[in-house]
Amino acid sequence: MTRVVRTAGLVLALLWLVVPLAPVLVWAGAERWSFPDLLPRDWGVSGWREAASAGLPLALLRSLVLGLAVAAVATPLGVMTGRVLGWRLTGRPRMVVALLLVPLVLPPFAVAMGLDVVLIRVGLHELVSVVLLLSVVAIPYTAYTSATAFARTSPELEAQARALGATPRQARLRVVLPAVRGSILVAALLAFLVGWSDYVVTLLVGGGQLVTAPVLLGAAASGSGNDATVAAMALATVAPPVVLVTVAALRVRGSGRTAPADRLPEPVPDHERMR
Amino acid sequence: MSARPVSLAATALASALLVSACAAPAADSPATSADRPWDEVLAEAEGQTVDLWMYGGDERGNAYVDDVLAPAAADLGVTVRRVPVADTKDAMRRLLAERAAGEDEGSVDLVWVNGDNFATGQEAGAWLCGWSDDLPNMRYVSDEDPLVSEDFGVPVEGCESPWHKAQFTFAYDSARVTDPPATVAGLLDWAEANPGRFTYPAPPDFTGSVFVRQALYALSGGAEGVPAAFDEGAYDELTPALWERLRDLAPALWREGRTHPRDQVALDRLFADGQVDFTMTYGPATLTELVEDGTFAPTTRVLSVEDGTIGNASFLAIPASSPDQAGAMAVADLALSPEQQVAKADPDVWGQFTVLDIALLEDDAAHAFDRLPDSPVVPAYDELSRNAQPELSSSWVTPLDEGWRREVLGRP
Repeated sequence: MTRVVRTAGLVLALLWLVVPLAPVLVWAGAERWSFPDLLPRDWGVSGWREAASAGLPLALLRSLVLGLAVAAVATPLGVMTGRVLGWRLTGRPRMVVALLLVPLVLPPFAVAMGLDVVLIRVGLHELVSVVLLLSVVAIPYTAYTSATAFARTSPELEAQARALGATPRQARLRVVLPAVRGSILVAALLAFLVGWSDYVVTLLVGGGQLVTAPVLLGAAASGSGNDATVAAMALATVAPPVVLVTVAALRVRGSGRTAPADRLPEPVPDHERMR
Repeated sequence: MSARPVSLAATALASALLVSACAAPAADSPATSADRPWDEVLAEAEGQTVDLWMYGGDERGNAYVDDVLAPAAADLGVTVRRVPVADTKDAMRRLLAERAAGEDEGSVDLVWVNGDNFATGQEAGAWLCGWSDDLPNMRYVSDEDPLVSEDFGVPVEGCESPWHKAQFTFAYDSARVTDPPATVAGLLDWAEANPGRFTYPAPPDFTGSVFVRQALYALSGGAEGVPAAFDEGAYDELTPALWERLRDLAPALWREGRTHPRDQVALDRLFADGQVDFTMTYGPATLTELVEDGTFAPTTRVLSVEDGTIGNASFLAIPASSPDQAGAMAVADLALSPEQQVAKADPDVWGQFTVLDIALLEDDAAHAFDRLPDSPVVPAYDELSRNAQPELSSSWVTPLDEGWRREVLGRP
């Protein structure tokens, strides 16, 4: 019974994700498609051609770089915060949690609106400002993801490594980090997605210097008769994250099976041997 | 992702304005360029990169800038970088933030703008002024053209240079509407007689807002009946009849007027799908391509309106915070040149109506305009703009949008 419910739930959840994309998929291959035809009258690639000539490949590349930059800043900071939270190393966890929640509670739009004037006045380069601001948005995700991983991993792991003669640095980098690496990967992925998919901060704080895929897509979607182009852009913007998430999901499951994080003594020799 | 609650955007813009009002340095002294020889401007422009922020939802507009205007600017040694935005308000937000921060090395050099956004920037002192009258190609623009000297009732005062003219246009499918109305009032009657076949975007959407102003003219005896500058007395006197007419019309609209298309894009889709028989646009230039690429039926026609529709012009403005002002002026002047204006007016390129006065052009240039191919859908500008009516001042726009929401939408 529960199995049926679970399968039905999974199917519904998938439908909920996929159904809104169906028209986009069809439009991306359509040349002409008007009401009341159920399917396009002419198929073709004109949408892709238009999208390419509008600068989609470069825009995707910029999105990629922005996503990587945000992940590079937000992941280490998030992991450090997550360690403090997960292992209860602070006497005031509530304050840390409250601080972390601020960027999630305020819409990025409001944050961008308030901070853009400040950032311009400070005189930081626009691109640096964008990466910093998006990292602030991404850190709650990376921190919480790693906090749960640390909570599942005993702090004794670090202590044991130290007892066996590892320096504090070795204990952290070669013992603790590998034990939570699946979650770090997920955290980095979430941070990447924040940078990859942002519109408001990239445009307003970035001062138009960084025309990423979402910026291009937003502009194209604001006009009539661009459906095929918009669909091509949307698909190209959505596909990489979907692929990444799928790959990450598979990897995390795999690594979970090989290295169960909460069986304490084993990981140490395992990873020592791997180096 | 482009859709943001308008009220939020408006609040944000208002707060940005407020901040800039408190923090901005005193408005710059108008144009350093006033009596500068043009050669000097061009020399300074060489090597500059001009960031042109413009609405990016019009593929042919984008293509014109990238493929025609930018290469010509490159010949002058100026690089044009187009920044596509979903709404010109995005550009305004950025430049008001720069203004508030007192930045003089801003990232916006040129904006395609008019109406509300121009007025907002003017109030904040965000535009560079006193330069556009000195552009060499301004000699082809008539001094007496009210569309070019005022932008929605706000005097231009050299703070922006004209780019194109536009005419509010109704389009219909002649296969479905065999007996098209000839006036705006007649269109309202037609809508009442054909339930469910007409609708308009809900103000404060740009297009819906023009439609309401157009209806106000139609019910007030034309533009002469409405004072161009906002006036509380005129509002109280004229609008009750307008709200009553639109309220009465509502049950005959698409979905009984319970809901309205969000914007012109949504209305265009309803029209393309045959759910309604009319669409409307302030950018008739796009109609040619929409028919060509099959979005609209080949039988789409522009409604000829005897009492005339509202016309406006759109402009290129340079923010006071732009670090590449000479380059921006060079591009604005280039965009105003007869060669660029005629290229842009070609329905196969963009189809935007020229701001130049053909009578002031040299013979060759005038002939080039004569030789332009006709669009199969959109009539020539002189036909479309017959009896054209001026825009109301932008101070009318908000009261009318608010009034519509209260009196028409709020009281079914």
